[in-house]
Amino acid sequence: MVIDFSSFHDLPRQMDAIFDEMWRSGEFGQRRMAYPPVNITEDEQSIYVSAEIPGMKIEDIDLTLTEGSLVIKGKRVPESGNYYRQERPTGNFQRVVNVNVPVNAEAVTASMKNGVLAVSLPKSEESRPRKISIAAQ
Amino acid sequence: MNKDVVKKENRNLPRVRPYTDILEKEDGFHIFMDLPGVEREDLVIDLNDSELEIRAKSIIPKNEARKAIHLEFGDGEYVRAFTISDTVDREKIKATLKSGILELFLPKAEKAMPRKIEITGA
Repeated sequence: MVIDFSSFHDLPRQMDAIFDEMWRSGEFGQRRMAYPPVNITEDEQSIYVSAEIPGMKIEDIDLTLTEGSLVIKGKRVPESGNYYRQERPTGNFQRVVNVNVPVNAEAVTASMKNGVLAVSLPKSEESRPRKISIAAQ
Repeated sequence: MNKDVVKKENRNLPRVRPYTDILEKEDGFHIFMDLPGVEREDLVIDLNDSELEIRAKSIIPKNEARKAIHLEFGDGEYVRAFTISDTVDREKIKATLKSGILELFLPKAEKAMPRKIEITGA
């Protein structure tokens, strides 16, 4: 960040921007480290993985489900031109999500909306919680 | 007054500075901004004199039945402002939001376009 004390630039706003920056570093700390950021949630039936990968088509994302993990892979291609500022990550990315529950691989679905990838991994029958009826004797 | 009301409304959402690329091509400037999870109606672009401000909200649909295991992103408000050069033709700024990326095209005004200068021999 450039701090310019000349009257041409709006110094108070620049100072605000610096403080804003300091504030932010606490939240979303992991954001800068791993790309893409993922959220993992679950309910009784399935595990849901969502990731922020804007600008990617679902066909260009390589999803691999192996035993115990889901791998999200792809490549973001940069625009060509004369760059003044480049913050958006480009190039190859890969993220491995550990899935410690047996998953019904046939029924996995993935969709993409507004740059957010959503994968649902239905748990296999044997790993779902179930009620066992006890017969009284 | 009005500003205070707006501020209060958005206080709950963490502010996120979206990743932005600014590049120049022959026809003008292109700004690309990562706005994952933003619907078209939640995006506001304001041009005030030479200040271009982009505000967008990303809300993840809630599902009470689902238990969070690991979270790295959440609801947020993307805010970013730019100062536009005088060479930009303000009337012809174009914005498109597609699969989570906002593309702003800021064409150069006719008079700022590069051109060849004719030389007349004496």
